[in-house]
Amino acid sequence: MEKDIFLQQIRDQFEETDSALITFDTFFKQLEEWSSMHALLLIALIDAEYNVPVTGEDLQKCLTVEDLYNTVKSRVG
Amino acid sequence: MTHNFSLTGKTILVTGGSSGIGRQTAVTLAKLGAKLIITGRNTEQLQETLSLLPENGHLSTSFDLVKTAQLPELVAGLPPLCGLAHCAGIWKPCPVKFLKEQALQNLMHLNFVAPVMLTAELLRQKKLLPGSSLVYISSVAAQHPYKGGSAYSASKAALEAFSKTLALEYAGKNIRANCIAPAMVKTPIFDDTLNTVSEQFMQAHVSAYPLRVGVPDDVAYAVAYLLSDASGWITGSVLRLDGGLTVGS
Repeated sequence: MEKDIFLQQIRDQFEETDSALITFDTFFKQLEEWSSMHALLLIALIDAEYNVPVTGEDLQKCLTVEDLYNTVKSRVG
Repeated sequence: MTHNFSLTGKTILVTGGSSGIGRQTAVTLAKLGAKLIITGRNTEQLQETLSLLPENGHLSTSFDLVKTAQLPELVAGLPPLCGLAHCAGIWKPCPVKFLKEQALQNLMHLNFVAPVMLTAELLRQKKLLPGSSLVYISSVAAQHPYKGGSAYSASKAALEAFSKTLALEYAGKNIRANCIAPAMVKTPIFDDTLNTVSEQFMQAHVSAYPLRVGVPDDVAYAVAYLLSDASGWITGSVLRLDGGLTVGS
């Protein structure tokens, strides 16, 4: 999977946040815009684009965008 | 007077009987004297449900309601019925912008098309005796939607509208149709929800209930009431079971 495309897909879910502020080091749940809706959006995004299940508990464990990328990558196989 | 609450002598079809609300409904209806025909997708789990029931000649049929083309055959094999407890259903959250047509159709098919076609077939084959009662499990989400639940809420709202129409069309034959709209009930769907959202989110949701979240028996007792002669004046209604969740909204 393409790392840069993944980052762009994550950025697209945060419509009120300047894209430049979202990098692999970003603690995405600490973005001002973050809400329970974003948890749903990220889970649905990963299901739609990568066809792998990610749970709410997985999201709890992921702190940065990099963490999330690694979680998805390990499941894409 | 109390005999009106009994289900003795009534033959009831229960769908979704292999787990969750459907399984508990089967157990409760059987304890109240009903003779049951239980359908569900999983044969082993259906057997397990049967083993929980007091002996009364209950039957089970492994059947996936999604296979609507096979409904005529299923219904042809049924004895005359006094009621239906439709508990089969699926839940899958998805924000609107990620909805896909196939997933939407799958959800609508099981939650709406399947119960409608099952009911139509029961009527076509004259399987419902006068005085019958049809009970469909809806959801509080039909009237009180939540983020990510567009497909689910829409499917249950459609089911409620269907049930009301049925109530009108069959009142003349003294056949009643009602829905039960529960809020969060502790079933396998509850665990799925926990996996989808976070535990924190669920704790916040659970604490919003003035009474408490539901257990399957809360729903089963309501189904039993609507199937019994005690509810003989109730048709076309939606009974909300929510521990007070939506009272103040």
